[in-house]
Parts: sequence; C-alpha cells; structure tokens
Amino acid sequence: MFGKGAASLPFLVKKERQMIMFKKRARKIYSLIFVLPTLAAFIIGFVYPFFNGIYLSFCKFKTTSNATFVGFDNYIQAFQNEGFLRSFWFTALFVVVSVILINLIAFFVAYVLTLGIRGSNVFRTIFFMPNLVGGIILGYIWQLIFNGILQNFGSNIELDATYGFWGLVILMCWQQAGYMMIIYIAGFQSVPADLYEAARIDGAGKKQVLTSVTLPMMMPSITICTFLTLTNSFKLFDQNLALTNGAPGVVSSSGTMVYQTEMMALNIYKTFYANQNSRGVGQAEGVIFFVLVVVIALAQLYFTRRKEVQQ
Amino acid sequence: MAKVKAKERPQKKKQTLGMKILTVLFTVISVFYVAPVFIVFMNSFKTNAGISAGPFEFPTAETFVGFQSYISGMFYGNYPFWKTIVCSFFITVGGVALILVCTSMCAWYIQRSNTIVCKIIYYFCIFSMVVPFQMVMFTLSKTADTLSLNTPWGILIIYLGFGAGLAVFMFSGFVKSIPIEIEEAADVDGAGPMRTFFGIVLPIMKPTFISVAILETMWIWNDYLLPYLILDKTYRTIPIHIQYLNGSYGHTDTTAIMALIVLSIVPIVIFYFACQKYIIEGVVAGAVKG
Amino acid sequence: MKRKNVTRVAALTLAGLMAAGSLAGCGESSSQGGSTGGDAKKGKVYYLNFKPEQDAAWQDLAAKYTEETGVQVTVKTAAEGTYEQTLTAEMDKSEAPTLFQVNGPVGLANWKDYCEDLSKSDIYSQLTSQDYGLKDGDAVYGVGYVIETYGIIYNKTLLQKYCDSDFATVKSIDEINSFEKLKTVADEIQANKEALGVDGAFTSAGMEASSDWRFKTHLANLPIYFEYKDEGISSTDAIKGTYLDNYKNIFDLYITDSTCKGSDLANKTGSDAETEFATGKAVFYQNGTWEYGMLTGKDPKSTFEMTDDQLGMLPVYIGVGDEAKQGLCTGCENYWCVNKDASEDDKAATLDFMNWCVTSEVGTTALADDMGFVIPFKAAKEATNVFVKLDNELTANGKTPVSWNFTTMPSENWKNGVGTALTQYAAGTGEWDDVVKAFVDGWKTEYAAANAG
Repeated sequence: MFGKGAASLPFLVKKERQMIMFKKRARKIYSLIFVLPTLAAFIIGFVYPFFNGIYLSFCKFKTTSNATFVGFDNYIQAFQNEGFLRSFWFTALFVVVSVILINLIAFFVAYVLTLGIRGSNVFRTIFFMPNLVGGIILGYIWQLIFNGILQNFGSNIELDATYGFWGLVILMCWQQAGYMMIIYIAGFQSVPADLYEAARIDGAGKKQVLTSVTLPMMMPSITICTFLTLTNSFKLFDQNLALTNGAPGVVSSSGTMVYQTEMMALNIYKTFYANQNSRGVGQAEGVIFFVLVVVIALAQLYFTRRKEVQQ
Repeated sequence: MAKVKAKERPQKKKQTLGMKILTVLFTVISVFYVAPVFIVFMNSFKTNAGISAGPFEFPTAETFVGFQSYISGMFYGNYPFWKTIVCSFFITVGGVALILVCTSMCAWYIQRSNTIVCKIIYYFCIFSMVVPFQMVMFTLSKTADTLSLNTPWGILIIYLGFGAGLAVFMFSGFVKSIPIEIEEAADVDGAGPMRTFFGIVLPIMKPTFISVAILETMWIWNDYLLPYLILDKTYRTIPIHIQYLNGSYGHTDTTAIMALIVLSIVPIVIFYFACQKYIIEGVVAGAVKG
Repeated sequence: MKRKNVTRVAALTLAGLMAAGSLAGCGESSSQGGSTGGDAKKGKVYYLNFKPEQDAAWQDLAAKYTEETGVQVTVKTAAEGTYEQTLTAEMDKSEAPTLFQVNGPVGLANWKDYCEDLSKSDIYSQLTSQDYGLKDGDAVYGVGYVIETYGIIYNKTLLQKYCDSDFATVKSIDEINSFEKLKTVADEIQANKEALGVDGAFTSAGMEASSDWRFKTHLANLPIYFEYKDEGISSTDAIKGTYLDNYKNIFDLYITDSTCKGSDLANKTGSDAETEFATGKAVFYQNGTWEYGMLTGKDPKSTFEMTDDQLGMLPVYIGVGDEAKQGLCTGCENYWCVNKDASEDDKAATLDFMNWCVTSEVGTTALADDMGFVIPFKAAKEATNVFVKLDNELTANGKTPVSWNFTTMPSENWKNGVGTALTQYAAGTGEWDDVVKAFVDGWKTEYAAANAG
C-alpha cells in the first residue's frame, strides 16, 4: 500500500531543460522499445479502467456489457445511502485522529532517536518492522490482541464502535509511525549542524531552537508525512476488513443495517458486490471517493506548502 | 539524496541521565511493539480452546500442541500453503522486475525526449498515484479478464500498469538530476540509445532502482484486493489465503491460522534483516523525491 | 561496472524464470484433465461449488470422472459467505462456470437469465419428486441435489442422565415435545450443570460472522415458516413478524442456558460450539445432518468420536402451532443450474457430469459417504447418517417436517443485518427492537432493492 501512496508530491516538478537526444528518424523505433511496454500496461491497468469507471458511474449495469445510461441517478442514490454517508464521517474522524497521532508520535520518536541515545539503531529497526506486514495479516493479529483484552471486560471489538475506532487508530499508529519516523529522522539529519551552532551562539534555549530552527527546517518532512498518512488513512481497506469488517451496526429507519466502523473504501466494496442492482451506485461512490481524495490531497499540499514558502 | 545513517552523528555522544532514561523508556516501548507478533507466535503452539480461553497465556501442558498447527496449516482450507508462497513470491519478484526494467526505460525516454505526448504520459502517471483502487476495481478486473490476464503471468502486466505511476515518477526525478553531458558524450561516440541506457544510465540509476524495488515489493507482497479480484480462483497469494481461511463455514481453525501468519511473516522478516539498509534508504528516497 | 550489472540483471531474470517455472508447474496440476482423453471436441465442465467443506470431496469426484471419461472437470469453491459475489464475478468472465447453484426462488430471480431450462433433461427425470425442481412457469431452472435436515441435536447420554436425576421434572426424552418442556429441561440442566458435568445446556451460540447463519438463517426460518403457514403464502415482499416474540424466546433460551456469557458470543465460532458438544460440555446443539461426519469422526478432519447411539435430534420448538406434530426442518437450498450461455458442448458435458454424479455407483457413493448428502434422486444410496434416519422415522410417525423458507429471505444483506442485530442483542449492547426492525423493515427495504432491476 505504501508503494502507491509514497512519494507523491508531483506538483513541484520544476521546469526542466529541454533536450532531445534521439535523432529524429530513429525516435519512432526507440519510443516503441522504451515507452510502449509501460504505456500499454498503463492503459490496460489504469487509463482505460479509469475512464470506463467514470462512464459506468452514469449507468445502470450488472456486467459491463449491458450498461444503460441513467444520468446522475447513481450519484443521487449514493448521497441518499445512509451507510455511505456514515462511512464518510467515520473515515473523516479517523483520518483526523490518526494523522495527528501518527505524526506526533513519529516526530517525537525521530527526535529522540537523533539525540543519540544508546540503542537508537535497534529501536529504529523495531519500530519500522510492522510496515512490512500486510494489512490483512495485521488486522488479524490485532483482532486477537484486542479481543484477548476485551474479553476480560465481557466485550469484543465488534460490539462497540468506540473500540473499533480506537482499535483501528492503534493499529494504524503501530504500523505507520515507524515509516513516518524514518522520514522524520532523515529530515532531522538533513538540518545543517551549523544552524544549531548559530542558534546556540545567539543564546537560544532548547525550546527556541525547536520552534525557530528545527520545526521550520522540518517543514518539508512534515508535508510529506502528513500527505502520506492522510492518503493512506483515507484509502484504508485491508486493515478495516480484517479487524472489524464494519461491525457493529445500527438499524436505520428503513430497517437496513448501517455499519459503524466501515470506512469508505470498505463501504464501496460492499455496495459493489452486495447486490447486482447497486453496481452503478457503487461505481458512483467510487468516483465521489476519488474526487474527495484528490481534493483533500491537493488542499493539504497547498496549505503545508504555503507554510514552507513562508519560512 | 539524503542518506540515513544513524551512526554518523550520535553513538559517540556521552549519555546524559535524561538519555539513559529515554533508552529505558524506549526499551519498554519496543517490547510492547514486538509483543503482538510474539503473541501470535505463542498462540500458534496452542489448541483452539487454549487460544479462546486466554490469548496472552503461555501454553500449558494442556493447551500445548507443538507443531501440530503448522502441520494442519499446510493443507488447511483444501489448499496447500506452499502454493500460496510460490504464488506470492512469483508475483512479487516478477512484478517488481518487470516494473523496474520497463518503467526505468520509459522514464528515461520520457525525460529525454520531452515531447507533448511524453509529458501527458508523465502527468497521467503522477495522477494515477492518488486514484483510490475502489474507483477502478470493477473495470480493472473486468478488463483483466477480457484480456485473459487472470493468471500469475497476466497479473504482472496489471501490476506494471497500476504500479507504473510511482516508478515512472521516481525514475524521472532521478533522470532529471543526471547531467545530460554524459549521455551526449556517449551519443557522440556513436552509442545508440540502447547502449547509452543500459551501459551508462542504468548503472547511475542504481540507488533509485533499489528504492523503487523496495517500495514496489512492499506493495505487491502485501496487496490483497487487486489479486483477489483479478487472479483466477485457483491461485491464491498469502493475504488472499489468510482472508479465505478466516471464514470457512464456521470451522475456523484459529491455531492453524496463527501458524500460517507466523510462516508468512518469516520471509518478510528475513528480507528485512537482509536489506534493512536499503529498505530504509528506499523509504526516505521515495518520500524525498516527492 | 557495466558487466557486473548485466550479470546481475541476468541473475534476476533467471531467478524470476525459475519461480515462474515452478509456478507454471503447480498451475497445471490444478487445471489439467481432458488432455488424456484425446477427444478435443468434448466440452468442459466448470463447477462453481457452494460448500467449502465439501471442496475436497468434489475435487476427488471430478478427478474420478475425468479419469473415467476424459472430460475435463474444474471445481472451484467460493469462500464462506462470498458465493454470490464470486458467482457474479465469475459469470462476467470469459471462462464462466457451466454449472453453478442458486439457493432457491430468491437466488433464481437474480440468475434466471443465465439458467438453462432443464425440464427435458435426464437429471430432472431422475428426481424422486418433481417438487425438487426449481420452477418458473413451465421451465425448470434448477434441480435440487441435496436434502438436508436440521433441528436441535442432543447428546442422548447426557440428556438421559438428566432425566434420571432427582431434580428433573421431565423424566423421559420422549416427553420433550414443546417449547415449554424444552425450556424446563434446559433451565434445569443449566441450574444443575455441575451435577451433570456440563458447562451449559446449550452450546455457545457462536455469532462470529462465519458462524451466525445458524441463527440468522436457520433459526429465523421458524417464525417465517409459521407466518407463511398462517397466511397461506410461500414468499412475501414484506414480512409481518407475527412470531418474532417466539423467535426471541428460543434465542433467549440459547444464550442464557449457555456455556458462556452473551458478550463472548460475538467471538465464538461454529467450531467452538461443535467442540463443546462433541466433548460433552453441552447437551443441546442446533445444527443439521451435515454435522454428522464431524461429530462421529467419519470426516477425516474430525478428531471427535461420538457414536450413533449418543446422538439424537429434536425439532426446534418455538411455542407455535401444534407442537406435538412438529417435525424437523427439512428442505433444500442447493439447486444446480446449468449456464445457458455456455457452448453446446460444454452444456452437454455438464449435463452428463451431473447425471453421472447422481446415477453412477461412484458418484452416488461419493455424494452419500464423502459428502454426507442425502440426494433426492432415484439411484440414491441408503443413508448411514443417523439424523437422516431419525428424520425419516419422525415423518413416518406422522410428524410434519418444517419446510425451508429461509430461501425466500430477500438478500445476503438482510441476513447480515439480522445477524449483526442478534449479536449485539446477545452481547447486551443492542435491543431486541433492533432485531425486529432489521427483520421486518429491513425485509421490505431489501426486497425492494433486490428486485428493483
């Protein structure tokens, strides 16, 4: 999952030098060899499904071959879907809490590990480890742990949305803090030592050094880490599926179950495969989800970048 | 490129009292950090009843079953576990290799030829990184099926396509930083683009190669939904298998699942300890490039 | 430098190829088949099996068929609770299943467009009663291939021990013929569980998602059955919930006279209940004929060793209707359908395969012994399953079997909703009202949604 989210601040591409090293007549052949394999796969694996998906979100369909155009019907239904709306608020809350917690923890840990305490390398190794374990497996590991604890109190992770929520938060902190820590450590180490030197000569206290030297210098790392945690939390699926699968539920006025710990990705997945009549709605929800992720990611970049520029 | 070498600065510093306290504190935290994995390991040696009675208790004479769960886990769910390992391994190695070779070539060409079409491709690649999988999951699996890409071989192409964004982006970023004069010199010497790329550019790109390889490996090895939707049901990767086992008509053999979780973590841990330096560099590079 | 990299790339490629080679090898072994027969014109069979616990047996049977006839038969199985999803996905594919199954009228409504009319097929003529055909007008779209029975399985030894005790008000097992009696017995067992050496009267009603079908589907069948009977209907777009109080009573009994606390149930599975029952920790266990193999150890996966004379089954009494005449719940939720869109060759091959399964010696033996199915076909083997024998006996004695009406439940979503509400009710975090709402209002909503297209 990190593979997708990582390194995604594309918006800073500076104007680069123009250079054409391929002699004109040879270019066509080489473009075939160099670009075609990736391009072909990219079209199959992304471009075509993406546009087809947008098209299908305006259709009623059971399979792709029998789609009929219905306009905005699916979108209207999506916004009336209680489960979907609930999953939006749950996701939003989860994202806010987990982004703040993960970044605070990772920042603090990275700070301590760059102080040079004994065993720094060992700690770093340990804290990063959970990132290598897949979401499904992590979910089941933590389900065992949480239920083991909760059974002493006569409860279960699937019975109380509060437990489910904090369970997911703890799981995500456990997994992602190590990853962000690595990025923050790199950030701390890239702060030039003479800056600290200068600050000390100017008589700055520890607190002042932190707020006026470290933090400003760390802004790029903070931008990256918030971006990564934000998109990862927003798109969370595997962990959600394995840990609570959405439970518990509340019966809505129409008698359908609205699941309390279902995040958007899981909700869309379930809408899609629950019954064949709701596929168009599922696809429309997918498009809404996509727009949300893009808007939020852009907004976040805009705001944190602005901070960086101000420094 | 920023390298993380924790050794560089600290270590030699004198340990003040505060630092000593921190070391102790972090040791305690570390113990809690590895505890979940350890608990799973411990439970893989217990009976099902032993697990549901108390997952945090050490196995007793009554609940200890030794390697029984590992043996029953091997064919649990009517599917041999070794097949899922082979499948995961093949898809990961194959997918990463394909991504590395194809996207590095593509990125270099895009950067160096810099036509409008190339720019469009480049921005589309970047764009693809933010798109959530749920948006394309249905159409992608449908496309993959129409083209018969539902085998471990075919899914490599899907991974190349869906993973191209990050890789092209990272390689492009690096190519930009390579002084073009080197390639021009080669060009003057009469080396064609092929030889220039494989002989000159590729060796320079080695660090990025490793970074991309690490990031893509972490993604593909752990990916669940994409292979689940695309692969034919006769193939299962490890995450698919684990998820499958968790609901088999109420006959859930928890201890066997614990054993399989342990077995599926082992290769990752070995990989981690073998390439820890590269992994951490890869993560940093992945982030800094952005 | 350059050379080094070339060798490295070569090594990597080689490693990849080796992995690929071994993978191709394993892929082949699972999909090979027809090539030995030599006749390329023959069609293929692709069976998407519903029951995970019979997967191995089906694979075996398919292999035997291939050996005998040279026709390639592929059997794939969907994970528990994902059949509908898997079928939807597979049907979209170019190599779609030729043989699949629906669970009854509701399932058929979804898949009718894909079903071949079987009214003229051999397999339909092999049925012992035409009632086991799934009809729509004159067309027969599905053929029921397994008849199953469920009820409250009891441990005869333990129940007898209770009847022989001083504290027992019910002195003979035969006297238990109503909900009242069942409740008395269960309560007394629960109150004297130490004396009887059990943990509870009922096994834990495991509500874990893979196991809650025992309650959200099978137990829920009873209020639906009695309501349908009152109304004289066989399905509905809106259930009234006349007998939901009785549903509550029986469920309350399950969770209070139980081996564990209600709050533990969310995490308990069917295996837990099975273990409790098979090891004599509980007296009652609601389940069906398919449990026979596991309980007696005839299933190779089982480690239990109960004997036939230890096992009995009671009807699920909920205190409605003429309970003295109530029989076990017997019915069918597994109908074979042939994919209409498959090629003619494949269809012919599929029909041949189905026919072979229910008429040949090898096929009927496998269905009866390896899978423990009772099949409604003329060539069926005599059942060895003690529960099946019991069911036949009860019917012969004039009891009326309770039919399976849960096949008319509107959707998987509905079942999951009721299941979740039940789990929360059992744990004390939810109200019974929610179960009622999910049951009654949810039925209407889900029915409308599922039948919108």
